[in-house]
Amino acid sequence: MSPPCFAALLALSAAAFAGIPFLAGDYAIGVALNLLMWIALTQSWVVLSAMTGYVSLGHAVFFGAGAYAMVLCFGSLPFWASVIVAGGATGLLALVVGYPCLRVRGPYFVILTFGLAELVKFVVINIEAALGQFGRLLFGGPGLAEIFYVVLALAAASAAITYSVRRSRFGAGLRAIRENEEAAETLGIDVARYKVLAFALSAVVPGMVGAAMVMRTTYFEPLDLFNPITSFTIVSIAIIGGGDDVPGPVYGAFFLVLLQEMLWANWPEIYMILLGALLVAFVLGVPDGIHGRIASWRRARG
Amino acid sequence: MADLLSGQLLIAALVLAGIYGLVALGLNLIYGTMRLLNVAHGEILMLGGYLAYWCFTLTGVGPIWSMFLALVLAGGFGAVVYRTLCRRVLRSARLIEQIEANSLLVLFGVSIILQNAIALSFTATARAYPYLDDIVRIGGFQVTADRLVVLGIGLALCFAVILFFRFSGTGLAIRALIEQPDAAHLVGVDVERMRTIAFALGFGIAGVAGCLISMLEQVSPFMGFPFTIAAFIVIILGGLGNIAGGLAGAAVLALIEVYGVALTSASMRSILIYGVFIAILVWRPQGLFGRRSVVR
Repeated sequence: MSPPCFAALLALSAAAFAGIPFLAGDYAIGVALNLLMWIALTQSWVVLSAMTGYVSLGHAVFFGAGAYAMVLCFGSLPFWASVIVAGGATGLLALVVGYPCLRVRGPYFVILTFGLAELVKFVVINIEAALGQFGRLLFGGPGLAEIFYVVLALAAASAAITYSVRRSRFGAGLRAIRENEEAAETLGIDVARYKVLAFALSAVVPGMVGAAMVMRTTYFEPLDLFNPITSFTIVSIAIIGGGDDVPGPVYGAFFLVLLQEMLWANWPEIYMILLGALLVAFVLGVPDGIHGRIASWRRARG
Repeated sequence: MADLLSGQLLIAALVLAGIYGLVALGLNLIYGTMRLLNVAHGEILMLGGYLAYWCFTLTGVGPIWSMFLALVLAGGFGAVVYRTLCRRVLRSARLIEQIEANSLLVLFGVSIILQNAIALSFTATARAYPYLDDIVRIGGFQVTADRLVVLGIGLALCFAVILFFRFSGTGLAIRALIEQPDAAHLVGVDVERMRTIAFALGFGIAGVAGCLISMLEQVSPFMGFPFTIAAFIVIILGGLGNIAGGLAGAAVLALIEVYGVALTSASMRSILIYGVFIAILVWRPQGLFGRRSVVR
């Protein structure tokens, strides 16, 4: 898809979503918000994990850290400014931990990111306990519509980031790292810097999304905001959607939100079992995901 | 400081070391023969714990007996998981690194399924049962009998596995597979069969470890993952395929955990475990490949 085409499609979709708060009730806004949140999170994940092959099973750490930054800013900064601060803080966090972490490869990187997210979760729990805080209530925050527009903007931005990285020199370098890191380095790609930059880039939007979404629940509880299920869901959406481009996360997120709407409220365990089974089935049977299936179906039709 | 020198902490560390050693043993076998990181390992342990709990609660059969059932059932489950899932990952992936990342995602999916299936069947409530909890005095130490039993069985099982790898034909073949996969294949080791056995044995040992842990701790659907992490730390410390090294690694981790918690507070336990885990991985970025060792 050419850049003008993509820009037009993105603007159209954003405009369509922007109309939802005027037309629909709170429940429908909530569902759309949920959809946008997963799109934004998974697009960001794709920039790091689908492009470089460094699969992160710990993106909840950025979501949670962003939420924590929001909590610490709450009351002293306006909502939108806190969201930006949260994005900067998580980007910085990724830069700091990125260099040592990205020397670790393959399955070790996967399990390292999971461990890192758990470590940060327990550190935050201990900090909160030391401060004498046990869950914080956040009163007087923004309304649902305001949060919705912020997350809509983040989803659009993350799609634009994925689109432009995918088609840039930087993106070509990242994909070269995925195919063969040694060869990429031999060709003069500054592998370490590329990986850390991709890591930081994939951390900023989740941090901002976390900051916005914590105001939705109006309650800060580290166990919820650093929940490993968030990381797991992002990976599942990306694998189910497939590919290293913009459409995959969108297909995956639609599919997942549909599943969530049907099952999460009444049968959370069955929802999780189904999600686990889908992850296994897609990795084994449909490694290129929904996006790959649609693409090859299109090719077959000419 | 006087508390730190007491026998109580030392025994707690020893028992924990025995458990970690046992859990890591199974993980080591699967990793060694297949280069597969079994992230569902802790969930197999959790299943073993539930089996022991229900056997004791429903029929009064103690974990000392139900652990044999756990060995067989978990072992069978391991063989099935290998034959149905893991072999397909090995076949379907394009790159070697992709095999490892993919198999990890598949096994992670399996662990999510198991956690939630158990939570659905038995609720998420933590469960425990009283078994052998009378206090025994040895010298100046006071210790509950269940801890001694766990320590004894754990060590006996580790010893049995060491003997198995030193003297039995199957054990030698698996060792050959860990050290030189291609050469083992060339001299006629049935790779598929040995991998299935290694998987079954690894899962079986995890099931037994679960039975033992259920004597000391509450069982809950989400108890498994910290044990998986602990087992990873142990095999990274001890070396791939190195069972004696694994026991030493288990002792180091148990000492750090028990004395670390005693010096700070119980809420620091997770931070300690994950902190050690991350420090070790960052310190040895090549992961477990770093050292080629021999099963002794």
